[in-house]
Amino acid sequence: MKYHLITLGCQMNIADSERVSSVLEGMGYVSTENEEDATLLGILACSVRQKPIDKVYNKIAQWNRWKNKRNLITFVSGCLLPADKEKFLKTFDLVFPMSELGQFPDMIREYGVVTPAGLKAREPIMPKNEHIASMWHIKPTYHSTYEAFVPIQNGCDKFCTFCAVPYTRGREVSRPSAEIIEEVTHLVNQGYKSITLLGQNVNSYGLDKKGEEITFAELLRQIGELGKSSEHEFWLYFTSPNPQDMNREVIEVIAAYDCLAKQIHLPMQSGDERVLIKMNRRHSMDKYRRIVADIRELIPTATLFTDIIVGFTGEGESEFQNTVTAFEEFKFNMAYIAMYSPRPGAASFRWEDEVSQEDKKDRLRRLSDVLKICSHEYNDSLLGKTVRVLINGTDRKTGFSTGLTEGKIIVRLDHHDDSLMGKIVNVKITSSTFLSMSGEVV
Amino acid sequence: MSLMKPDMQMDESFYKIDEIRELTGNAFSLRLPKARFAFKAGQHLSLGIVGGNQSREYSIYSGVDDDCLEVLVKEVENGYFTPQLRKLKVGRLVEVHGPFGKFGMEPEVAQTGKFVFIASGTGIAPFRSIIRTFPGIDYTLIHGVRYADEAYDRDEYDSKRYVLCTSREKKGSYHGRLTGYLKNSNFAPETQFDLCGNSNMIFDALEILKDKGFDRDQIHCEVYF
Repeated sequence: MKYHLITLGCQMNIADSERVSSVLEGMGYVSTENEEDATLLGILACSVRQKPIDKVYNKIAQWNRWKNKRNLITFVSGCLLPADKEKFLKTFDLVFPMSELGQFPDMIREYGVVTPAGLKAREPIMPKNEHIASMWHIKPTYHSTYEAFVPIQNGCDKFCTFCAVPYTRGREVSRPSAEIIEEVTHLVNQGYKSITLLGQNVNSYGLDKKGEEITFAELLRQIGELGKSSEHEFWLYFTSPNPQDMNREVIEVIAAYDCLAKQIHLPMQSGDERVLIKMNRRHSMDKYRRIVADIRELIPTATLFTDIIVGFTGEGESEFQNTVTAFEEFKFNMAYIAMYSPRPGAASFRWEDEVSQEDKKDRLRRLSDVLKICSHEYNDSLLGKTVRVLINGTDRKTGFSTGLTEGKIIVRLDHHDDSLMGKIVNVKITSSTFLSMSGEVV
Repeated sequence: MSLMKPDMQMDESFYKIDEIRELTGNAFSLRLPKARFAFKAGQHLSLGIVGGNQSREYSIYSGVDDDCLEVLVKEVENGYFTPQLRKLKVGRLVEVHGPFGKFGMEPEVAQTGKFVFIASGTGIAPFRSIIRTFPGIDYTLIHGVRYADEAYDRDEYDSKRYVLCTSREKKGSYHGRLTGYLKNSNFAPETQFDLCGNSNMIFDALEILKDKGFDRDQIHCEVYF
């Protein structure tokens, strides 16, 4: 029995897919890269943007055509908007939230029953996460021998107006810290080099269990102590944090331990106060500025990544200019810049999408140009220096080995060496461009 | 939820509407059983209609110790969701999740702070919850509406602390927008400002308060959308 799983979206979906793989392989299924060989076809969907959801619709249309010729079971899980879920119920055989992953084997065994419309009345609009613990208990089938993602938190209570994640992932729930430490310890002892703590609001960890669970800063501290006493070198990252819950203590802890990577991903979304208010982002620019100042003071070598939406409702040229100014001020090393697209279920879906596609593209281009200048300046500053690089891939054009610095800047080597894959090596930087560098192993 | 699992039990997030209070022509409140729903005054909840596929966030209108859970709703003309809420009758089920939000007021803060609550329209909801929860709180409530009949539950507030700004008729304490009142008012330097309502009011009020020299950290916003 073969299965093929398509994973869309973020690292959280990657982490979820590892648990789905464990469940299926526990049943005796074998993974195949070739969809046409599989009898069980699934998608971990992403509803955050329209493009991934369009991929799901296209894919299920194709799979349903294949059903004319052979027996197939199809399923979809992950981040599902209620409106999409309704449509998926008519097109996929199985639709379930990740919190029900433990029941997936039973669902497959009972395959074939299509839900009548009446049952829809009992479906909660917002997914409940009371069973998420059972999903976390499933041991994942890690996709890599040196890079792993560890979910520590699920859900979102923030209700940013551009985002439907509160409706797809439900309430914020923190995973027991003992389980997280156990999983991280296991990964460290197995020699994993890059470990990323995951959560829709990763640094809100523990806030839903105040008094019962440790804080995010304390969790990092415990992992830092683990790193200090371990003979293994690794880098611990976290994503995606919300500036609202970021504090100086977290930065102080990162500064105190070598294993806590000096790379901070801090989504800003806009550099304009008014746009932030309309987005319902609870941090002010002053707060964001203070966090960055703490980062620059306490971990001066850290790289800074961010997320930005251009063309959000209410963003005129002057508001956009404030974002450009913020980019010049904070000198991000990398930014994931998205053109605003209204998401069904998000509050802003009910507003006019007033910025033209042309203007959105123009703003994306202009902001990318600023990003390139800032990141190039940083990369230039490393010329001639030796940095530690985790080798993790091959450059598509040259075939040479590539990797990431601790700060997650891409480094291309001057040759290919399979034996370096998954290892952290010293690389002398010989040239730089915006967004990447080249070097030689020393 | 799973296609395979018949669900015949009532979900604990489903609440029956106990009472509907008509406040004005298009504003009303829904009262639900308090049950085990614990919250901090100022927080909000997510409300959906059982059988529907959408929900909306509403500030909790009732106080923490009130014997019901109440939300204030204004029907949006040509809207999708609020006209459906309007048609609900006592006994119908709604789905409630929450509480959410950091707009909530901590008891120790409420006891010692000096507050100015600035609300437009139904943005008064979280402040009613706070005032009902902390009867001794030192507050001024500036409420901006178009017409005086939009001063929901006005009689509940201390008349010396409640400023009604009516933009379209001369029936409140101040005739004009609340931002006009704000511009012409002075506040103690240690005042904490809480703003709730539409984003345009919040933008303007924020600028006025910053111009008056108040720190951004003294100003907390809850945007209605």
